[in-house]
This record gives sequence, structure tokens and C-alpha cells, in this order.
Amino acid sequence: MSIAKPLVDYAKSLKPKKSFTQSFSAFKRLTKYHKKYYWFIVAITILALIRSILFSLEPFYTTLIIDKVLGQNNISLLWGYLLIIVLAGIGYAISNFFLIFVHGVMSQYIVRDIRTEYYRSLQGKSFSFYDSMSVGDLTSRATVDLQMVDMFLRSWLGTVLNAVFFTIIIIVIIYPISPVMTLISMATMPLIFYFTTRLWVDTMPLFRNMQLILGRLTSYIQQNIVGMKTIRIFRREKDAVDGFKEVENIYVNTAISAGKIQSIYMPLGPAILTLGIALVYVYAGYSLTIPGSLLTVGDIFLFARYMMRLTFPLRDLSTTLGTWIAAYAGLERVLEMTDAPRNVEDQPDAKEIKIEEGKLELENVTFGYARDRPVLDNVTFAVQPGEKIAILGATGSGKSSLIYLIPRFYDIQAGSIKIDGTDIRQFKLDSLRRQVGVVLQDVFLFSGTLKENIAFGKPDASMDEIVRAAKAARIHDFIESLPCGYDTPVGERGVTLSGGQKQRITIARALLTNPRILIMDDSLSFVDAKTEQEIQAAIEEATKTRTTLIIAQRFSTIKTAEKILVLENGSVAEFGTHDELIRNNGVYKKVYETQFIQKASPILEETGDT
Amino acid sequence: MSGSYGTFSTKQEEKRKRTVPDRVLIRRVYEYAQANKRNLKIGVTATIIGAFTGLAAPYMHAMAIDRIIEPSLTDSKNLMGFFWWIPLFVAIVLSNYVFQYIQTYQMRVVGENVVAKMRDDMMEKLQVISLRYFSEGETGRIISRPTNDANTVRIFLRVGLTSILVDVSSILGSFAIMFYLDLRLSLLAISVLPVAIVLVWYLGKYSRAIYRKTLITTSGLTAIMQEDLAGIKVTQAYAQEKEREKKFIKRQDENVKATIRAILIGSSYTPFVIGLRLIGTLIILFYGVNAVLGGVITIGILVAFTEYQFSYFMPLVDIVSMYDQYQSAMSAIERMFDVIDTKVEVLDVAPERSVALS
Repeated sequence: MSIAKPLVDYAKSLKPKKSFTQSFSAFKRLTKYHKKYYWFIVAITILALIRSILFSLEPFYTTLIIDKVLGQNNISLLWGYLLIIVLAGIGYAISNFFLIFVHGVMSQYIVRDIRTEYYRSLQGKSFSFYDSMSVGDLTSRATVDLQMVDMFLRSWLGTVLNAVFFTIIIIVIIYPISPVMTLISMATMPLIFYFTTRLWVDTMPLFRNMQLILGRLTSYIQQNIVGMKTIRIFRREKDAVDGFKEVENIYVNTAISAGKIQSIYMPLGPAILTLGIALVYVYAGYSLTIPGSLLTVGDIFLFARYMMRLTFPLRDLSTTLGTWIAAYAGLERVLEMTDAPRNVEDQPDAKEIKIEEGKLELENVTFGYARDRPVLDNVTFAVQPGEKIAILGATGSGKSSLIYLIPRFYDIQAGSIKIDGTDIRQFKLDSLRRQVGVVLQDVFLFSGTLKENIAFGKPDASMDEIVRAAKAARIHDFIESLPCGYDTPVGERGVTLSGGQKQRITIARALLTNPRILIMDDSLSFVDAKTEQEIQAAIEEATKTRTTLIIAQRFSTIKTAEKILVLENGSVAEFGTHDELIRNNGVYKKVYETQFIQKASPILEETGDT
Repeated sequence: MSGSYGTFSTKQEEKRKRTVPDRVLIRRVYEYAQANKRNLKIGVTATIIGAFTGLAAPYMHAMAIDRIIEPSLTDSKNLMGFFWWIPLFVAIVLSNYVFQYIQTYQMRVVGENVVAKMRDDMMEKLQVISLRYFSEGETGRIISRPTNDANTVRIFLRVGLTSILVDVSSILGSFAIMFYLDLRLSLLAISVLPVAIVLVWYLGKYSRAIYRKTLITTSGLTAIMQEDLAGIKVTQAYAQEKEREKKFIKRQDENVKATIRAILIGSSYTPFVIGLRLIGTLIILFYGVNAVLGGVITIGILVAFTEYQFSYFMPLVDIVSMYDQYQSAMSAIERMFDVIDTKVEVLDVAPERSVALS
């Protein structure tokens, strides 16, 4: 199977369905974000009205110049008309400026609101959400996709109002001059409206597909580049490119068919409007020759001028429709994530509860990432306050899943997990997680200083506390050896730390919050002996007084644990002290003999139940 | 706007100066268009003819008023002039429509194919260049080339290139017709042009500088978004969502502030442009009215002039504002060629020719 198969299938599965109604409900939702800013809307409406009126004045007075000044040879009126044209022009320029500005500010505020809501919702999503999403994709939704929404929000209301106001004003001006000519010129409007709608309805699904394919294509490229090593190792380069080309081809074809529809309909509006002017001319010429006609050459000019001017708001309107298509696809991608279920949430009756002792009980716990495929099946065991449990198991045995359940990174499907006799779902999530310290397998440091990273869980910690935690985690000496000490920047643009150093910083981070229960995923392998010793010392220090669950790879870790839990295919295979399990003659003994005994022989004698 | 995509690009990337001259880049892109040579030729021709036919409409109005309607006030027989005028007018409008249709379609075919081909080449290259290229920290920048950069170029080819062609043809066409109609009035009409160009250029330059600043705050926003999502598990484990959110909101507000400032400056130059156009209109009207009264020009010509003034001024503003898009497209093209031109260090045999070890 080709690597690109899911992508190719996805691109092929996109049928150009009528997404018109969908777009309408997205639009309704977007208008809701405007609610807070009704003063902006009032201002935009007033400015748009002023702008439309002023925009319509210039042709009106140019006509007067033609009729009164030229027609009646009255040069004295010229200055007055020119002055009005100037004033109207200046007024137009100013109102236009304010309109663009106010509209722009509103769009910024609305985009900010949508992004904040998006960000907030992402913060509340459970680990299972992040298991299936890529960071790059989620980020580009908040930036690239929202930029599309921003483009639309920058001008849409002003453009729509402008088109409406301007059309009304023009009708009001030209109707008294000649009702028949007005009707003739307006007769083309329904046609223009029809074709504009057709353009919209026909191209929208295509553009939406393009946007969606592009989104997927982007994450595909990301995966390809990030996973380049793997692709090279398995020699899948050709596959990767072929699949990419296939999807790129689908995209190009969709873009071209959309272009075809656009090229048919887009120039149609102005063309129809211009043909309408021809009709007006014919009628005007005819009625001019009728004796007693009140029509003047200036009137005809006025008609023509206004109809030409109508093409501008019309063109703006179709541009806005174009930006809406992109904005809609973008908005859809953002809201899709905002609306995705949180999965793990506070129960209505959840409380702030203090963990006093740290007794941990799991009873018939069943959990799976997919409902029908349990990763943990009926797991039951208890940890006494202050006890340290080492968890052992092969890859896929459910070790990581098990420890992730305790701070409720995932919710269990059946059974119960209790801390000090209280079900963890009774705790407020915040309250639970603040008291359960976690050292995750991937050691993530935020950009900032070392100090800030250690104090991550307790931003108001004193320097004393920070140093104490760093000392306990055996990282203090290293930090002190750096030129900037605790103020050394880390993260993207900071110093590069080794995996072992990062891990000890994350241990310090966990220790600083002084949790009653500590959960550690010590799956870090490939470290040198000295680093291992240091990490070992850090872990021992960290776990001294607290209830600890630790996923262990090294025997040195296991030997210090009171009890050992062996997981096999999601079930507890063995649970007990080292001696008990050795006597049991089960899995543990086998693992112990094959994996640890040679490596750890010098300290073997010291082990036993501590 | 797509120039601000910069999802992954770092500050250095944005500040980087271009080294390859435009004509080299354009020539290379043109080479990519060779496969669609026919489409390109037809498209460009249609664009230019289309712009000219679009300009014919005001001229036709002038004729209708001067040669048909105005004389028919005294002699109604003149209305027969509509017999030739209407078919001609309809023909011009229809041909304008047809040329626009051809132009939009053909240019789309060319644009999409060129970008797709460049992107395919990039992807192919990425599969064979040294793994060193993908070292940590670099990946973000590499990713943005076949994605963000390709998009910038795509949007430029789809919208920008055509508008530049249309605008240039409209401006030149307007000038030609204006000079044909009346030399002196034309000279007066374009007297504001040098001032307009200088003003638009300088204001544009200023607003571009401000705009670039927003790009930096945008990449700051992107960076914190990315970091927060990458570190979400840690944040949740320590229940620090609120703290991170505060930081995020602060960054976002910086971005909003910078963008609003850019909007303020960007929108403040339109009144100047409108003002200049206004001065141009006044000159035309003032001189034109006197000229009509003095019998130098006809009313129709005056009417046509006010229209043509509109039809060269707007494209002018358009072209200047397109400059930014053009620049970012050129930088994007340069970065794309950068990948395509990367030397392959470890070139090995094709997979189908390699020997299996097992």
C-alpha cells in the first residue's frame, strides 16, 4: 500500500456536493461573533450610507455642468458645481477612510475572539484528541485559515451595504428623470443576480474541496519532511512522491474546473450591465425626438454614468463572494476543532479536594482508545500511601495508558479509580492534576528560562524552592555551570540540552509542586552510565515520601520499588514484591533473569524487598 | 495577503534579502510554463485584447452622444445612426466578454500547472537530498516552501499576474485613446500622474514597512500557538492552562495592535489617491467646459475623458498595491528554486535497482 493512499482516497472521496446551505449556516454563525460589536456595525452602516451618497454626487453635478453650463451656456454656475464636486470628493475620501479603518478594527476583534475561543477549546481537549491531530495542522488552522476569515471580515459588511445603498440611491435619482429608462436599465438586474448566484453555487463546492485538499496536502508534506528518515530507511521515496503527485493533480483539475466556471460567469455581470446601457441609449434617442420631451443630453449621460458606476459595487460584491468561499472553508476548519468534544470534563458536582494520604485504588478498570478494543482490561490493584510501584511490561502492554488514567488524561470506560477513597471524577480536573505530579516520557521544555521551566507548575515559586527542586533532581550543579545559570534560555532559540538533562529538569518541575502522588514514565533509554546514575539518584530522591507509580526500564529503578506490577496485554499478570514475584516463577522472573541479571549483577545482592 | 502565511518562517527568513535578480526568476518560471506554451500565448493575447475592448465602451458612449443623440435634437433622422451603433456596441461588449473568458481560463490553466510542477519537483528533490537538510529546527522552514511559498506563488499567478497585464493594457490603452481624442486635454489629464506615482509609491513603501512589522508579530503568534500545542500535555499535567492562555492572549493582543496600526496606515493613503484623482477631474472639467464652450472639443469627448481618467487611475493604484504581492511572490519563487536546485550529496541507485540484502 502506498503511503499516500489515505490522502489520495480522501481527495477522491470529496464530491462536489452543494455546500450552499452549509455555507449559509456557517455565515449565520459568523454573524453571531459580530453581536458584541454592534456599535461598529452602526458606525459602518452610517459610514457606508454617507459614502454611497457622496459617491453618487459627482456624476450628478457633472451632468448639471453639461446641462446647465454647457447646455444653457451659463458659465457662472461652473464654480459652484465644481466646489460641490470637490467637497463631495473630500467627504467621500474621508468617509471611505473611516469605513475601511472601522471595518478593519472590527475584523481584528472578531478574528481575535474566534482564535481565543479556538485556543481555549484546544486547551481543554483530552489527550485522545491530540493523539489524532498534528500540531502543524492545528496551528495552521489558527493562522492560515483564520487569515482567510480575516480577509472576508475586513470588508464584507461595507461592500454589501454599499451595493444596496448605492443601488437604492441611483434608483431614487434616476427614477424621476425617466421611469421608463429606469425600468429598462434595472431590467438587467435580475439577470445579473441570477448569474452571480449561479457562479457562487457552482464554484463554492469546488473551492471548498480545493481548500480541504490543500489542508491535507500541507499536513502530508509535513509528515513527509518530518518523517523523512523513516521514508528513506524503508525506501518509500517514490511512493511518497507518486501519491503526492496524484493528489496535486486532483487539486489542479479541481482548480481548473473552478476557473472554467468563474471565467464563464464572472465577466458576465458587467457585460449585461453594459448591454443595458445600449438599450437605454436607444430609448433615450427615440424619446428625445418626440416633441415636448423633457429629457436632456445630460440626463442620458447621467444614466450612462450611473450604470457604469454600478459596476464598481457589483465587482466588489463578487470579490467579497470570492473571499467568502475561502473564508467559509477556513472557518469550517476552525470551528470543526472548536466544536470537537472535550472528552474529559469536570463533572457537575466536581469539587476541590485535597489529597491527604495518597492512597490509590484501581478497581476493574477497563480502557481503550477505540471502544471495542480495550487496551486495559479489568485492571485491579491498590497502592498504599507513600508506596512506590514499578510498572513493567512489553511495548503495547498498556503501561503508559495506565498511568495516563490517573490524572484523567483519558477517562476510563468501566470500573473506578479512587484516591483516598474518593473517585477521581469527583475531583475538579484542576485540583486533581495539581496534586498528581507527572513526568512524561517526552520531555518538553517551553521557550523561556530554565527557572521558568522548573517553576512551570507553580509560577509564583520562590528561588529557594526552585533551587531545592533542582538539587533534588540532581540538575542544580549543571545549571550553575551555565554562564547564565537559572536564567539560561531554553526552547527553540535557547541552549541545546541532552535528553538526560531535559529529563532531570522535568523531574525538578514535578518535584517543585510537591505532589502527593507522583507518576513517572521513565522510558528514557540510550543514556550513558553517568547520566543514568544521576537520573537514578534524582528519581530516588523524588519518590522518597510520595505514592509513586513508575514505568521502569532499568533494574536500578525497579530494585528500589516496594512492589512490582507486571502488565501483559492489558491485564495485570503479576503484582507483588520482588521476592514474591521471583517465588511466583512467572513472567517477572523470566524477564529478571534474561534482561537484568547480567547487566545488574554487581548490585544484585543488595536487592530484595526494601 | 498570502505573503503573511509565514506559518513556520522565522524572523531571519522574513528579513533575508533576495539575491537572484527578478528576470532570472521570471525566466525560470517561464521555462516551467513551456509545457503550457499554447495556453500562455492565448491567455496573454486575450488579456491584452480584452483590456482594449473594455476601453472601447466609453468611446462608444461619446460617439452615441456626439454623433447620434445630440444631432438628433435638431434632426430626428440622425437616430438611424443607432442602426450601426448598436450592433457595433453589442459586438464590442460581447468580444470583451469572450476575451475575458479566454483570459481567465487560460491563465488559470497555466498558473495551476506551473505551481504544481514546481511543487512536484521540490517534493522529488526533498526525497533525495541529504538527510542533514532535515536537521532539527530546519524542518519548519523546509515545510513552508512547498506549502506556504507555493501558495503565495499560486495566488499571485491566479490574481496578480492577470491584473498586472490588464492594468498595464488599460493604462496604455486609455492614454492612446485620450491622446487620439484631444492632445491638450490629455496632457492636462495626466498632469497629476507624476505626483500620483510619487505619492502612492512613498505611502505604499511606508505602509509596506508597517505591514512587515505585523508579519513579525504574526510569526510570534504562530510560534506561541505551536509551542502551546506541542507542550499541551505538560500544560494539562500541571493544570497551567490559565497561565499559558494569559501569555497567548498577550501575544495575540500585540498582533492585533500591530495589525490595526497597519490597517490605519494602509487605509490612510486612499484619501490622498482619491484627492489626486479629484484634482485631475477638476482640471478636466474646468478646462473641458471652457473648451466645449469655445468649440474646441465636443461634449462627448468631455464625457469620455472623465471616464478615461477613471479607467487609468484605478489600475494605477492597483498596480502599485500589487507591488507587495509581486515582491513576496518573487521571494517565494526564489526559495522554491532554492530547494529545487539543492545539490544531491548522497546520490544512490534507484530503489528498483538496489540489491536486497535479505
